[in-house]
Amino acid sequence: MPAIEEVVGFAPRQAATGQEIRLAMQSLWLTGRILPVGARLLVRHAFRSQEDQPVEVIYAFALPRDAALRRFRVVGEGFSVRSELKPVQEAVRAYEEGLEAGHLATLARSYRDGIVNLTLGNLRPGETVTVLLELLCGVELHDDGLRFRFPFTLAPCYHAAARAVQAEPGLGEMELPEEEFGDVILPRWAADAAGLHAVGFRLAVETAVEAASVGSPSHAIQVAVEKGRSRVTLAPERDVPNRDLVLDVRTREAYCGVLSGLCRQGKGQFAAVIPSARFGARREAPRRIVFLLDRSGSMSGPPIAQALKACEACLAALGPEDRFGLLVFDNKVEAFRPALVEASRESREQARAFLSTVDACGGTELAAGLRAAADLLGRQGGDILAVTDGEVFGSEEVIGEARAAGIRVHCLGIGSASQDRFLALLARETGGVSRFLTPRERVDQQALELFASIGRPLATETAAELQGIPGGRIEPEPSKQVFGGTPLVVFGASDGPASGSLAVSWQAEGERRRLELPLEIARSGLGETLRLLRGARLITDLESRPEAERQGPLGRRAERRAEARLRRLSESYGLASRAMALVAVVERAGDQPGVLPATTVVPVGMPEDVAFGSYFLDLQEVPAKCVAAPPRRVRPGLYVAPARLLDEPEAIVAPDVLPAMALCDAFDPLLELACEILPDGGLPGAGEEERALTSLLALLWFLAEGHSERCGPYRKHVRRLVGFLAQAALSERARRIADEVLELARRGGSLPGDWKGLLAARPPAPELWDRIAEALAQQAGPSAASPGAAIQ
Amino acid sequence: MTELTLAELARQTGVPARTIRFYIARGLLPPPARAGRGACYGPEHREGLARIKRLQARGLTLAEIARRLGGETRRDGLPVPSAWWCYPIERDVVLWVRADAAPWRLKQVRRAVLDLAAQLKTIQQEEDNDVDASD
Repeated sequence: MPAIEEVVGFAPRQAATGQEIRLAMQSLWLTGRILPVGARLLVRHAFRSQEDQPVEVIYAFALPRDAALRRFRVVGEGFSVRSELKPVQEAVRAYEEGLEAGHLATLARSYRDGIVNLTLGNLRPGETVTVLLELLCGVELHDDGLRFRFPFTLAPCYHAAARAVQAEPGLGEMELPEEEFGDVILPRWAADAAGLHAVGFRLAVETAVEAASVGSPSHAIQVAVEKGRSRVTLAPERDVPNRDLVLDVRTREAYCGVLSGLCRQGKGQFAAVIPSARFGARREAPRRIVFLLDRSGSMSGPPIAQALKACEACLAALGPEDRFGLLVFDNKVEAFRPALVEASRESREQARAFLSTVDACGGTELAAGLRAAADLLGRQGGDILAVTDGEVFGSEEVIGEARAAGIRVHCLGIGSASQDRFLALLARETGGVSRFLTPRERVDQQALELFASIGRPLATETAAELQGIPGGRIEPEPSKQVFGGTPLVVFGASDGPASGSLAVSWQAEGERRRLELPLEIARSGLGETLRLLRGARLITDLESRPEAERQGPLGRRAERRAEARLRRLSESYGLASRAMALVAVVERAGDQPGVLPATTVVPVGMPEDVAFGSYFLDLQEVPAKCVAAPPRRVRPGLYVAPARLLDEPEAIVAPDVLPAMALCDAFDPLLELACEILPDGGLPGAGEEERALTSLLALLWFLAEGHSERCGPYRKHVRRLVGFLAQAALSERARRIADEVLELARRGGSLPGDWKGLLAARPPAPELWDRIAEALAQQAGPSAASPGAAIQ
Repeated sequence: MTELTLAELARQTGVPARTIRFYIARGLLPPPARAGRGACYGPEHREGLARIKRLQARGLTLAEIARRLGGETRRDGLPVPSAWWCYPIERDVVLWVRADAAPWRLKQVRRAVLDLAAQLKTIQQEEDNDVDASD
């Protein structure tokens, strides 16, 4: 009979060692309101000490995009104390003095890359304390809705000087150089997030126009629709901290208008949202684009598979007039071709073949990748599409370099807990667009959506001004470019209630265009939130701009000036920043001075799609199974200078048996079809008539799947097919059938039929012309003569 | 003179007080000499902090430093890697490095391999010179 282990109660245990995990932070609960231009959130952290001595708990978290901390409240038995906003050094001093005196001291301090350390000192044995932290953050705006993202875990990131190790089995830790990052303490990362603190949320989503849907690709949610708002709750009782919360809100129509109100000081505040459609239609013009693909170790597994899929989808959407470059990077950058190439069928095929050799490993030297991409585009300029998880520490420098290069960077973020804040900033600071996906989503369509909109802005040199608004000002400066799918947002303020207008002008097709929105600033519940959201944006923007020069007395002076500016901004908006921290000291009865609390760092889960080993390898260990990989491809007599070889290893050799890699869902067959389209817009085949028939079937398939010339991710492909078919030299009957289908395509209609199945057999039988004619006749109705019959 | 409070130790060494508490909790530094109000720190703390800084500068993490200070070594099995980098250093030397190693580790390995390659080259050159001289 097997021995039965004695089990006393329940306690979370580490999967690898079976050791009990003593959680200092029990749970994290997110509440708040998501508005059309940002969110106001309240995060509840419940701390409880299970130790037998006082502890100092450190919880590290990442800020969402355009976010700033406003204040917190510390609540415990018999007390409820609100934080004060103080310059960092003063706040730290107040915290240390409080701690020394034995009081309960709490400090929320932000560091570079939007990392915050929430430190709770002198938590007594058995004591429960809740910290309610209020913060403001931005959202990813789309013409027809928004995407909200909140990090429940902090992704480990790459930095050349970072140190990382597996401290205990299944528990990794990482440290950053103090000279650059200060005394920030990063969390420990648990390979298995089960058993860590519970996370949950309940959020109100308020849209300006009726919401069509609210969904989440990251969590199981419940949505209750009330008057004008949706309440979103985590469906299960609790979840684990191993990925971001992502909410997608789609509205029935694009919202165009102004949100406004008066803040506490009675000043007017507004945010105008102008959908991209108001800036006219997209124009076709040749593009110059460089795809920059991140193949660092953190991308291994599903993220790299998704990134490759995204790149292939975009390659397939290139037109023959476009020129493109393709770069992959980890510690070093590798180019598909040394210069931009024409997007011919051959080059696209070769690029796909090049991508098929890409494997993820190594560091994330994004700055080097961006430099190489800028070099590739050269003086003529163009666009960079970076496909990355953005897992980089020291992101401010990357942004600085990208800004200096003066080339638009568009970001397609991939990952379950990625640096949304960083990539949003990188795109905005360079005049680009960013989109962020999660590993559970279809990547190809989203990539195509983004790809279709970039390269050709709808509007450039955009400028906004206020008319008839006393003391009116626009701040921060709105984006200079408008791209399809992403609205223009203009934040601003006024002296008080006012009635006037907001005029936006821009350059398009060689002329100056203009639109005017009525702007009514009156009392409403939104004023204070709008002011805070604007402040959070301004602080994030300022923090992303690193000091120009770090060395020498001049550098120090510039640094001090930048800090003073940040402090003034923080003070005027009442929001924390890298220059101002939040602190609270609670005097409790029976506080013992001079007791040294034991430090505990709250562990977080490794992001669910990032391989633990890509960051944390046991350094004590020497690979014990070298023989498992027999050298297969060593060429005799090969000798190159070692320094060069070390830059480029001779070969990467896989063992005979590769572990089965879990890939995402299979390729979209429509994408395969799209990849086949030749530069002239038609599908391959022998002779004009056969090619036209194949292309016609393909067109019908696209139409049947809901893609037309104007909508759907494959609209570009549909347009090219239509273009080819309109010009193809055909017999009279075939011409008539083709024209009818083209007419149908122009109307955005479709024909019932198994076009996919009919296209499977190539070359298609000429009888299929009749099938199409029949389907057309059936749809036209029994009375109408079929075009095929008319000839007979 | 030699007895310092935590605040004084922090000021003298430039290491924030919170970090010092963190090191003590991690076992990298001894706890203060006395408990309670009269807690004091001495030269061993200052030296300890300097040693930690030195080791960190060499690329060690706190966990490794703790292991080193505690004289602890661990050998747990690693999963079989899916791929290896192959570095032919010399005609007769080929080095295999597991491709799934952390980037920081790869950096360390690379540095060591460069040293080894340089060393082998020097030996070769010296031998060649010897041969030339004896001719």
